[in-house]
Amino acid sequence: MSVVGSYRFHTGVSAFFDMATSDARALLPEHLEPIEVTHQRSVLSVTAFLFDDSVVGPYTELMFSVIVPPTVAKWGQHAKAGFYPFLAATTSEEARRIKAERFHFPYHPESIDAQFIERHDHVRIRVFGADEPILDLSITPGAWETTTHLLQGFMMNGDQRLRTTLQISGDYTVHENEAGQMTLFPHPITSNLLTQEVSPYPFREHWFKNGTEVFHHLETI
Amino acid sequence: MSESDRDTSTAAADVETSPQARGVAETAGPGAPASPGAMEYDYTNFYFGAGSDAFALLEPFDDWWREVKPAGYYLYELPLHTAPGTRVDVEDTKTGQVRRGLVNFASYNYLGLSYRPEVKQAIKEAVDVYGGGSSGSPILSGTTALHQQFAEAIADFKGTESAMVFPTGYSANVGTIAGLMRSGDLIVADQYAHASIVDGMILSKAKSKFFRHNRADDLDRKLSGFDGKKLVIIEGVYSMDGDTPPLAELIEVCRRHGARLMIDEAHSAFVFGETGKGVAEHQGVDHEMDIHLGTFSKSLGGQGGYIAGSTQLINYLRGFSRSRFFSCALSPVVVAGLMKALELARNEPELRAKLWENVAYMNRLLADAGIPTGDSTSQVIPIMVRDDARIFQIGEEIFREGVFINPVKYPAVGKHKSRFRMSISAAHSKEELEEGAAKIVKVLRRYDVCP
Repeated sequence: MSVVGSYRFHTGVSAFFDMATSDARALLPEHLEPIEVTHQRSVLSVTAFLFDDSVVGPYTELMFSVIVPPTVAKWGQHAKAGFYPFLAATTSEEARRIKAERFHFPYHPESIDAQFIERHDHVRIRVFGADEPILDLSITPGAWETTTHLLQGFMMNGDQRLRTTLQISGDYTVHENEAGQMTLFPHPITSNLLTQEVSPYPFREHWFKNGTEVFHHLETI
Repeated sequence: MSESDRDTSTAAADVETSPQARGVAETAGPGAPASPGAMEYDYTNFYFGAGSDAFALLEPFDDWWREVKPAGYYLYELPLHTAPGTRVDVEDTKTGQVRRGLVNFASYNYLGLSYRPEVKQAIKEAVDVYGGGSSGSPILSGTTALHQQFAEAIADFKGTESAMVFPTGYSANVGTIAGLMRSGDLIVADQYAHASIVDGMILSKAKSKFFRHNRADDLDRKLSGFDGKKLVIIEGVYSMDGDTPPLAELIEVCRRHGARLMIDEAHSAFVFGETGKGVAEHQGVDHEMDIHLGTFSKSLGGQGGYIAGSTQLINYLRGFSRSRFFSCALSPVVVAGLMKALELARNEPELRAKLWENVAYMNRLLADAGIPTGDSTSQVIPIMVRDDARIFQIGEEIFREGVFINPVKYPAVGKHKSRFRMSISAAHSKEELEEGAAKIVKVLRRYDVCP
């Protein structure tokens, strides 16, 4: 598998929230199934990355995904999880254009603004659109370690089913202490989530620092 | 410490090698460390996997398992060579040795009844009368006079009109929940509810929700706006944390929403409360519960489960608890042992007093050593390590020091919530508690879990 894009980041967070499986299923194409974390409850992932070195310079990306099963591979190449991004947004139009071409991520057409407020005991991400708040997410740390995660992303390009493999490496902490919180504000980006029963408390909080996100070539499946 | 650094000859427990263990050890490849990434995977990474072959996950799982088993997963399902007493002989499947005289904090034998001479004698006598098994479903030929007497004794003990016996605690939950609730109904359970409760919810096809652990305000939210049959399910003692529910608050919410309340007292029946009925009795709300559920495998040291409640409830479930009537009835031999164990539990309140004395003493030992034990208020004491990457390494050293206690990590508990689950028994002597605590503290200090 050849590398198609490598992005260095300063901070990356991913918060997992449980959502109704019926809502998750409605967001997915028919060939994908949501992973259920408990009976009838699937996983909404909200990720925010502060990239500090890319072909378009520093920028922030916000992404909403449903967690899905990865395609089975041999041990060593077997991904830990899969995700289907159903909405993404960036602070950079150029970054959006390039990633949409390469990976067919479904981007919101308008640029966003984002603040990462980092303290030793939490990181707070505030996202705005035209000065109006969109999202306010706080994540807390557990124990830090250095790690690499192998994941699969699933996308659609019209009727074409696509998959990419990505590796995220860096300093990492994860826990399920339910210490984080998310507030969503009315905005076109959050409109389909505000009508759903999404818990305001992430059941799992991931926090990466000083790492790299490496995307491999898209495959048609 | 790598596997090759470990010197088992320094372990405090006596050891001997069994041929069976040697075979397992050779297969597992003793001393072979897992690759750096392997321990970052867990069972959940092999639960789901897209593909067209139903066996697609078997090979990658097997390859992963062979790497990680000797690095820590072997600590599960270690064969005991003795009764689940306060000291046990346990087979170390990694080294091929049988470790003798380990202080046992892993078994549920909270009152030490499983091996009491009176219990064993009752079992021997039942074998002569009934043979080994019941040879039938409870609704066909599997119910003996002993089964009926035992169900009546449980109802009498719990102070309810009726009771019904199941072959396991698992089947009691599955059969009760799925026997009562239907598609279109609503079940709301505490988020830490046991897997058998969750599986019962799935089988019932009812709409399922989970409220935040012990939070009546969240239960209120989850019940709001639903117009239909509602069942709320909680536990008396939560098995991974050892904490208890705020029953008065939860009852108020249930009554306001017209929801029925079921309590699973698997870990609390026979030990909590003035007469040992459970946490509901302990909190003075015994008669506010709509369904009492419990098991016989913990405090009574046997096997099986029960529900207790109104005669109408039991009669209905007798006809609709599929997990009960599509299973063979409990062996009458087991029932005979349980009858005697129940009699001892009722007639010897000093057992409960000794248990709580032991719990208080162990809590004091752990607190003095600065070991965090979460919110436990019961005989289940979690020793919080919160180090998912090293919990097996720590567990292995505690095992080799001479203590049998189970490490618990994700997915059995949340990420970064790894711990050892300590079960205290009335049968533990003060010396055993001191010895076990000292050995655990010694290892935890090496890992900076405590000062």
